[in-house]
Amino acid sequence: MTGADLARASFVVFVTLVVQHAVLDFVHVGGAHPDMVLLLPVAAGYAAGPERGAIFGFAVGIAADLLLPTPFGLSALVGCLLGYGVGLATAGLVRGSWWLPPVVFAGATATGLTAYAILASMLGLVDVIPADLPGALAVATPAAAVLALPVLRMVSWAVPEPTASAAASGGTTR
Amino acid sequence: MAPTRRTRAARRNGRPPWWTIAVLVLASITLITLDYRGGLNGGIGGARRVAHDLFSPVQRGVDDLLRPVGSFLGGMVHAGSLSAQNTRLRQQLEQAQRQALAQRTAARTLQQLTDLEKLEGLPSLSTIPAVTAQVTALNSSQFADTVDLDRGTSSGIDVGMPVVGGAGLVGRVVDAWSNGCTVRLLTDTNSTVSVAFAVAGSTAQNLALVTGRGHGSPVEVDYVEPGTQLTRGTVLTTTGLQHDLFPPGIPVATVTSATSSASATQETVTAATTADLSQLQFVAVLQWQAQVIPAGSS
Repeated sequence: MTGADLARASFVVFVTLVVQHAVLDFVHVGGAHPDMVLLLPVAAGYAAGPERGAIFGFAVGIAADLLLPTPFGLSALVGCLLGYGVGLATAGLVRGSWWLPPVVFAGATATGLTAYAILASMLGLVDVIPADLPGALAVATPAAAVLALPVLRMVSWAVPEPTASAAASGGTTR
Repeated sequence: MAPTRRTRAARRNGRPPWWTIAVLVLASITLITLDYRGGLNGGIGGARRVAHDLFSPVQRGVDDLLRPVGSFLGGMVHAGSLSAQNTRLRQQLEQAQRQALAQRTAARTLQQLTDLEKLEGLPSLSTIPAVTAQVTALNSSQFADTVDLDRGTSSGIDVGMPVVGGAGLVGRVVDAWSNGCTVRLLTDTNSTVSVAFAVAGSTAQNLALVTGRGHGSPVEVDYVEPGTQLTRGTVLTTTGLQHDLFPPGIPVATVTSATSSASATQETVTAATTADLSQLQFVAVLQWQAQVIPAGSS
C-alpha cells in the first residue's frame, strides 16, 4: 500500500465520519439512524477482497470507536470481521448486476449490527438486543441498500483491488 | 519481508493468510480488554478526548453549513415548476409558517429555560453550581442513548457530573473533552439511578432502582416490594444516599403503571422520565461529583 493509497483511505474515513455525525445521526427514526460507517468495511471487502477488507475495517473501527461512548475496540472487531467475511463471501460472485451491491450491503449491515449487539451484550451492555437492535435493523438495513452504490464507488477509489504484481509481492488476489 | 511458502499458496487459492484476521481480532480483543481494565492508565480516554477536540469543530461547521444549503436547494427545486402567482403565495405561506415555527421554537426554548431555572431553584440544587449547555448532537451509536453538549472541560464539566433539564434529571456525563461532552440519558439500557418515593398514608421513604429500556421506551422501576401501594403519577426522586451518583431530591420519573401478581418477588412498575428526553435543547450540568468510596472499604 502506497502513501497515496493511505491518504485516500484516510480521507474517505474522515469524510464518512463527518457525514455520519453531522448529517446521518440527525436522520432519526425511533432512536435509530442510517449507519454509513459500517458500510466502509463492507465496501472494502466487496471491492478489494478479504485481507484489505479486514485491515480497512479494523482501521475504520478504531477511528469510529474514538468518537463513540461504547467499549473501545468493539467497532474495530466487528469491522475487521465484516470486511473479511464480505470479502470471502463475495469472492466468487459475478459483479455485473447493479442490484448485487445493495443486496450484499443490506445483508452485511444486518449481520454487522447483530454481531455488534451480541458482542455488546457479552461485554455488559445489557438489553441492547431487545431494546435497540430491532430499530437499528429496521432503519440501517434499507439505508444500507440506498447508500451502497455511492459508498462502493468511494471506497473502490480509496481501497483499490490489488493488482497481480502487488498480490505476488504481498497484496491479495481475488 | 518475503512471503512464506504457505502464505503464497494461500494467496494463489484466493484466500488471505489466516494470520491477518487472527492478528486483527486479537488486537481488537486486547483493546476491549484494556478499555475495561482502565484504558491504559487513561490513555484510551485521552485519545478519545483528543479525537473529539479535533473532530467536533469540523462536525459543527459542517452542520451549520449544511442546514442553510439544504433549505436553499429545497427552495430552488420547487421554484422552477410553479407559476409566479403560486410562487408568491407559497412564499407568503412559508414565511407565515416560518414565523409560527420560530414562535413555537422560541416558546419551547423559553419553557425549557424556565423549567431549568425552576429546577435549579430546588433546595437540594440551589447550592450546586451549574453550567447551562446546548445539545449539539444526538446518539452517535445505534446501541447507546446519548447526547453531546457544547460545553466541556474548559467550562468546568467533568465525567460523572449529573445533568438536569426540562423538569428533571436527564442523565450523567460519561465523556468530556475541552469544548464538549457526552451525556448518557436515563433511557439508555446501561443507565441505572437509585430513587426514593413516598406512598399515600405513609411518611416513610421507599427505595427503588430506575433502569433505562432504550430510546423512546418507558423506564423500568425495579426492587419495589410486593404490596407497595404505588399509584400512577407518583414522582420518583434521586435518593442522595451516601456515595450515590446524584444529589438528592431531583425528580427522575413519574409512575405510569404498577401491577402486582401473587407470586411476584417485586411489583412490576414502569415510569416516564420527568424530563422530555426527545425534545432536549438546553440542559444544565451540575458541577457535583459523587463521593469516592475509599479502596478496601465494604
